[in-house]
Amino acid sequence: MAENLSLTELQLIIKDSLYLALPDMYWVVAEISEIKENYAGHCYLELTEKHPDEKNVRARAKAIIWNKRYRFLKSFFENITGESLKEGMKILVRVKVEYHELYGLSLIISDIDPSFTIGEMALKKQNVIKRLEEEGVFQMNKEIGFPVVPQRIAIISSKNAAGYTDFIRQLSDNNYGYTFYTALFDAVMQGTETEQSIVNALDRVAEHEGLFDVVAILRGGGSQSDLSWFDSYNIAFHVTQFPIPVITGIGHEKDLSVTDMVAGRSLKTPTAVADHLIECVAEFETQLNEISAEISDNSRSIIEDNRSRIESFRMNIIPLARLMISDQKERIYDRIIELINFGKELISKAAKIPADQKSKLVSASQSFSISKKTAVDKIKIDVINSTLTLLDRIKIKVDGQKNSLNILDPQNVLKRGFSITTVNGTILKSVKQVSDYKVIETRLADGKFKSKVIKK
Amino acid sequence: MAKKEFSFNEAVVEIEKILRNIESGDLDVDKLSVEVKRASELIRQCQKKLRTTEEEINSIFKDLV
Repeated sequence: MAENLSLTELQLIIKDSLYLALPDMYWVVAEISEIKENYAGHCYLELTEKHPDEKNVRARAKAIIWNKRYRFLKSFFENITGESLKEGMKILVRVKVEYHELYGLSLIISDIDPSFTIGEMALKKQNVIKRLEEEGVFQMNKEIGFPVVPQRIAIISSKNAAGYTDFIRQLSDNNYGYTFYTALFDAVMQGTETEQSIVNALDRVAEHEGLFDVVAILRGGGSQSDLSWFDSYNIAFHVTQFPIPVITGIGHEKDLSVTDMVAGRSLKTPTAVADHLIECVAEFETQLNEISAEISDNSRSIIEDNRSRIESFRMNIIPLARLMISDQKERIYDRIIELINFGKELISKAAKIPADQKSKLVSASQSFSISKKTAVDKIKIDVINSTLTLLDRIKIKVDGQKNSLNILDPQNVLKRGFSITTVNGTILKSVKQVSDYKVIETRLADGKFKSKVIKK
Repeated sequence: MAKKEFSFNEAVVEIEKILRNIESGDLDVDKLSVEVKRASELIRQCQKKLRTTEEEINSIFKDLV
């Protein structure tokens, strides 16, 4: 049996063997499962590789980026990807295997390929989108329909974020003087806690869903990075299932996050969200004013129609009344001529009788003729007067109708189920006009009939 | 909430219905005036809700946070 080795001796043998066996640098694909920066600025990571089922870990190793290198790689990586190195991220790194007798095996990272991570993130994002589409939920929040007046707003944001303050200021300074009600549901908007924090905030809002018209998820005011937190399946899925519309303003320039894509509406910044909400209310008010104007125009034209119908009624009745008067006049003249002829005939008959009787007859007939003429003249005046009175009455009535605007064409009134009842040709307006067994006539829209009063 | 909440959506739906009624020309003048009164009342309520801050809602919102 060989001589015993000290632990240090063994570790050094391993170190030397590894150094000889793995002399090069290697490009390695791995996922970051832990990452932290220590006080000296060195970055310590734990790298893993998972089984294709994404649950079990099949390989694990410690890795280090020394502070000098880390400062450079960190900003290089962030500039290109817009993301910081974080847990769950897949990376392609160039490593040297090192073995230390005290600390064991470490992979010393000297380089990183950001384009690999970009590709991985895009792929991951595509998978999240595909999954939401396959589950048939992608459009669900959009389908709820945005409220006509988004006045009561639940805000999911960070209390101290510039984006939140900008939003509140923009909303309350709106030029229209609209009232908005806001309630902040504080959440972490970046870092590993983002996903859980936003999901929790959404749950809290959902408990009061009846109080809100809309939920605004706001982030930003500067930071354009780390948008990939919002590519989370969990956040996006919660948004699709949310009972009221979600509007996002999470500060992106070019790419939409999955959360933006599934939200009811998505704007670039919190300020843009505020402007959009104000615009919605202004649009509603414009619509309201338009309907209001239409109602008033339509009502006015209905009233105008009624007025002109009454006016034409009035125009028709005056010539009709004139015609009636001239008719009556003619009839009276005919009677006068008849009387004169009759008188003449009497006179010529009288010529055949003795003189004294003749003169008697003449004077009698003259006085008869004169008295008849007076009577006829009186009738003539009566007829004219009563026609004029009737005409005046009609005129007054028509004028009244014209002013009241409440009267429509009698035919239309009849169509609605009203009827006109007359007794001896006079419109019945009082029970005083009828007595038992009196015959009355009722006019409906499509004709008339007579009936007898049974009991008054 | 016990009392029926005012809804902008319902209000505007009702106002639009009134407008359609008026446009159809089936209303008599008496009905017309009732409908116009109702519409202007709803419009007035909407205008008021857009600009008046209700302390009740404010205090409910404050209690949530």
